[in-house]
Amino acid sequence: MQVRQEDKNGIVVCYITGEIDINTSPQVKKIFDRIVGEKKEKIVINFKNVSYIDSSGLATLVEILKGMRTYGGKLKLSNLSTKVKNLFEITKLEKLFDITQEEGDAIKSLS
Amino acid sequence: MMRIPSEVSYIRKISAEIESYLKANNIEDSAIFDIRLCAEEAVKNAILHGNGGKKDKAVFISYSLEGGRFTLEVEDEGNGFDPRMVPDPTAEDNLLKGSGRGVFLIHKLMDEVKYNSRGNRIFMVKLINKNNGGKANAGQAGR
Repeated sequence: MQVRQEDKNGIVVCYITGEIDINTSPQVKKIFDRIVGEKKEKIVINFKNVSYIDSSGLATLVEILKGMRTYGGKLKLSNLSTKVKNLFEITKLEKLFDITQEEGDAIKSLS
Repeated sequence: MMRIPSEVSYIRKISAEIESYLKANNIEDSAIFDIRLCAEEAVKNAILHGNGGKKDKAVFISYSLEGGRFTLEVEDEGNGFDPRMVPDPTAEDNLLKGSGRGVFLIHKLMDEVKYNSRGNRIFMVKLINKNNGGKANAGQAGR
């Protein structure tokens, strides 16, 4: 699992590559604890290269969202595969997270 | 029947073996995704909650594919739990909670879910042919 970070006009876009499960979730949390610790106001997480996520991964994303809410940050998720998006729908996490189909839509809505 | 110690590093080893078995039987990716997730969630719960992470306690896993039914059983050596007592993670008050989605996902993604009376063994079935478009080789059984 890897996370690549890019700044796009003040918006932090994070590209996760790999699987987010019980083994990799601690790494994801550590990386985003640092980003959230810097109080980045606008973050997009691009899931294009995330092939799998489990309940540990979903819990980690909830933690990231909760962390950002403490300072009024805005988080958007984009490019989820059908199977990964389905898990957000089943667990009703789609109500918590702002999910867009394409990264560009997420960036546009934050600009 | 496979026997593993209560170590989280074994979760992916088990699910990888199940994945390989399903791929060898030409099961479609969507069903494999669901089965992998449920296998990992069940084994994770057995290790962390059932056995309390005690490495000297074992988790037992068995699975088979027969007549379009993929069956998976996971048993731990703990005291068991009452699945009715697991809070609904989709309730408004629980959405921001960090845990509690594993059992819920199993119930949503599998076609049948049962427990023994003690609550330390979960029995799951995924129907492969009925809704998932798989091409299971009927009668071929795994471990």
